[in-house]
Amino acid sequence: MNPAAGNAPYEVFARRRPGEQLGHIGSVFAANPTLAVHYARWMYDEEAWAEMCVVPRAQLRPVAARRHGSTPERRV
Amino acid sequence: MDTTELISRIEQGFIVERPEEMDDEYRAVLRETLIVSGDTEFVSAATLLTAVPKAPSVQSQMSLLSVIQDEIGHAHIAYRLLADLGEDITALVYEREPARFKHPYAFDFEVRDWSEMAVLNALFDRAGFVLLSDVHRNSSYGPWRRALAKVDKEQTFHIRHGETWVRRLAADEATRAEVQRAVDWMFPAALEFFGLPDDMKHRPAQLTYRIRATPNEKLRQDWLASAVPFLRDCGLDVPAHFDEPSQTWVLDFPFPCAFLPGERRWVFDQPVTWHDVLARWRGRGPRNGEFVSQLQRGHRALAELSGAAA
Repeated sequence: MNPAAGNAPYEVFARRRPGEQLGHIGSVFAANPTLAVHYARWMYDEEAWAEMCVVPRAQLRPVAARRHGSTPERRV
Repeated sequence: MDTTELISRIEQGFIVERPEEMDDEYRAVLRETLIVSGDTEFVSAATLLTAVPKAPSVQSQMSLLSVIQDEIGHAHIAYRLLADLGEDITALVYEREPARFKHPYAFDFEVRDWSEMAVLNALFDRAGFVLLSDVHRNSSYGPWRRALAKVDKEQTFHIRHGETWVRRLAADEATRAEVQRAVDWMFPAALEFFGLPDDMKHRPAQLTYRIRATPNEKLRQDWLASAVPFLRDCGLDVPAHFDEPSQTWVLDFPFPCAFLPGERRWVFDQPVTWHDVLARWRGRGPRNGEFVSQLQRGHRALAELSGAAA
């Protein structure tokens, strides 16, 4: 959970039951993807998830984002 | 976005998602609130650890270890949100002086017996639940609201765990006095989780910015409405009653009042001011240094090993 010691943030996504949406449930800080997987499994054990995955935050590309709290708008 | 515009948007239901959408004061108040929340969960793990040898069976020890793991998970939520706001979490968690942690005073005491463990879960976790449910349902900060889904669920389990044990221990002649002794000091201590009356807070902006939405006094009432009937139902004495004319829960002792940490005793005939309470909180309780050092020890040992290896 330590971002300062060479760890990188990973976003955690999970689906409770098949057919439900895959949702963002939190994040972990880890030194590598393997540790990120373990941290996510231990940290987010409030459900018996049907599916869970981690994605390095650096790999996420914003496609749309609200500006100044107005209605969502597209960035070109 | 300037402050007036931000506040007016929040009043209309605007949910803040990203740091760029905050003003400096929003960020400062959110930061302070998250630190209190993270510290409370984090230090409670050390407090609860002192109860492990008191567990009456292997199964109850396993339940307790699961509760402790949950608390660390809850601390992680607040601290990772702080990291996303740019906070240096290593410094905050592992390099801060123990006395500068912001958890409730009651966590600076070791758990003396399994009855105290039960009352801790039944009363302190209930206070945490009331406080965080308000954030979960009403906060203007989107990332925190969503993260608290996990906490809401797990706190409910902790409260049920505590209630099951309080009921059982209070029904047993052999442990009844022990449970009552725990309630006697932990009931007023739990009331302190709700902090100062809102009009005395140096940062009323918590409510203005809707980082939390319900005034402390109302949350204290919610907690009383849930805790007092439960304790009564277990046949325990509780220094509070429901006042029909005002339709509020009323304490049968002056609050705040003096506290003797050595005896863990509230002195009901000695009212004090909130200023006195703040001084006691700032001075921290007897095990504060030890508990926080214990939580910081692993990080320091690892840092030393890494240094030695380099």
